[in-house]
Amino acid sequence: MTAAVSQSRPFVYLEPSPVVTQQPFLRVFVTPATLCAFGFAVAMIAVLQYSVRAYIPGSLEAGGFTLSNFVALLKPLYARVFLDTVWICFLTAFFTLIVGYPLAYALVFTPNVAIKSFVLVTVVTPLFLGEVVRTYSWIIVLGNNGFINSTLLKLGLIDSPVQFMFTKFGVVTALVHVTLPVMVIMLAAALSHIDRDYQKAAESLGAGPIRTFITVTLPLSAPGIVAGVTTAFAWTFSAFATPQLIGGGRVNMVSNLVYQLGFASFNFPFAAALCVAGLALTFITLWLFRWIARPLERMGPH
Amino acid sequence: MKRLLVALVALAALWTSQVPGRAQDKLVVSIWGGSWRDLIAETAAKKFTQETGVPVEFITGGTIDRLNKAKLSKDSPESDITFTTSHVGWLYANDGLFEKLDLSKIPNAKNLAEPAKISPYHLGGWAYIYTIGYRTDLVKDVKFESWNDLWNPELKGKLAAPDFDPSHIIVVSAILSGADATQWEKGEAKLKALKPNFKAFYTNDANSQQLLANGETPVQVVLSMNAHYMIGQGVPITLTVPKEGGVLGIDTVAIMKGSPKAELAYKFINTLFDPAVQADIAKLKKGSPAVLNAKVDPEIAKLPGVFTTAEQWAKQINIDSKLRAEKTAEWRKWFAENIMN
Repeated sequence: MTAAVSQSRPFVYLEPSPVVTQQPFLRVFVTPATLCAFGFAVAMIAVLQYSVRAYIPGSLEAGGFTLSNFVALLKPLYARVFLDTVWICFLTAFFTLIVGYPLAYALVFTPNVAIKSFVLVTVVTPLFLGEVVRTYSWIIVLGNNGFINSTLLKLGLIDSPVQFMFTKFGVVTALVHVTLPVMVIMLAAALSHIDRDYQKAAESLGAGPIRTFITVTLPLSAPGIVAGVTTAFAWTFSAFATPQLIGGGRVNMVSNLVYQLGFASFNFPFAAALCVAGLALTFITLWLFRWIARPLERMGPH
Repeated sequence: MKRLLVALVALAALWTSQVPGRAQDKLVVSIWGGSWRDLIAETAAKKFTQETGVPVEFITGGTIDRLNKAKLSKDSPESDITFTTSHVGWLYANDGLFEKLDLSKIPNAKNLAEPAKISPYHLGGWAYIYTIGYRTDLVKDVKFESWNDLWNPELKGKLAAPDFDPSHIIVVSAILSGADATQWEKGEAKLKALKPNFKAFYTNDANSQQLLANGETPVQVVLSMNAHYMIGQGVPITLTVPKEGGVLGIDTVAIMKGSPKAELAYKFINTLFDPAVQADIAKLKKGSPAVLNAKVDPEIAKLPGVFTTAEQWAKQINIDSKLRAEKTAEWRKWFAENIMN
């Protein structure tokens, strides 16, 4: 019967099979997610309890209850690294948006299939490489004898290599590349949901392409921009390999501090306190960001 | 359905019947991956299998990963043998993860150099030094005779040191300030004065090699074996040993507590200390043998970081590994707070 109906009508709404909604199957399907959530919760509790226990030099076991790990975090150094982290995340999210928006726009609106495929492949391919591989390739590009410096030297534009490695500029550049695929995919999803009739209406009323973009497309894609920037921000917050290798210990983010002070020296309680503080900072920053971006989100299509 | 069940039961039976047999006829060794694993596979493990007929299986991972895994499987260790650095070995030992060694079962251990006898639980398998290595083509006018030469203002923005372990440079600063590792605070001011010369801090062996190869940091406090490897690859590096000596590093071997194959493990360690095996280790990785009776090729023996006599061992800066295990966190934190950031 279904076959007969689908022949006459291209879109058929199929009632969900009663078998799937039956309790036993639901339980089976939900089990993996529940187990994962349980695993994450246990790990989180472990980190929390480590953060309030004393470090015993020369031992892997943590000692009794203490708040000294959090007190130690009050040094100006940690405030600076936390602020640096927020600033690097902001720069990365901002520049990823600037670079990603035209790509997402081209991906959605170009009628040319070849360009569409080219953009898609260019954007998605980096996802197949690990963060470490991508970062190593940036060392080759940014180094003193790297691609940029050797080209500039050959062209006679500079006399001695420009320092890109171990600087915020280098770290942000590599992080933008690492974050770009996520941003483009999120922006493309938002752009493709915009009803084309709005743009056509603007054009028919005499608006040029730039005006249509600024007054129609850009505001309607605001929810995508907010989602993309939030994701890029949160994603960059946990960056480790890129600041570790490109920053070379001179540009540090929270995760690098966790590694430097906790992991590499076996001081797990202090590392856990840093993690908890970092997590709190992420929540606060993202909450602030959402609060500021709330008017923008409302601009989306209704 | 019934058929599937029968098949599953049969498979389970087959698996359980296999496990004891498999567990009996192999020795599991935990070690770092890559060339470290290959080094032992090609030397001690090869000879051990030839002599006993028992194959060696490796489980590999980073220092901390393996330590954590060992801690989590305390009562039924995943490996029979563990290789780790001497001070990290103390963390295993302090947590009761290592078997106390019966040296009468390791006759070759009598030839061990004195500093390689780390503890009743772990013994040095080979050694190396952290010393000064520099790009001969990029650093021309600076002589390195003493560790003090690292403070030369000519080296501003040229130096790299490991970020995972600052103990070498901390203890060197203490020594240059007339103190030692136990009074490391006396070298704080000295080390702070070195800050302008640091360009970066490398995060692992590969990172160290890359920063030397591309000339980003033409001077490094470097692991001798890594520098020798890069010289072999054609990178123009000079490795020098300052008059105060290099900072001795020892990678150790131990038997995991609760290993059901302790007897085989003892045989394995005895094979590791075989003079021929030790000479092979020196040849392959340009590390120092841990025993004094290894017949090391004279060309290898003259390399910095390879010791064949007790006097050579004694000339190096040897930070007590137990003290180092206890101090690493404090040193690391001080270094991050005062030098890196």
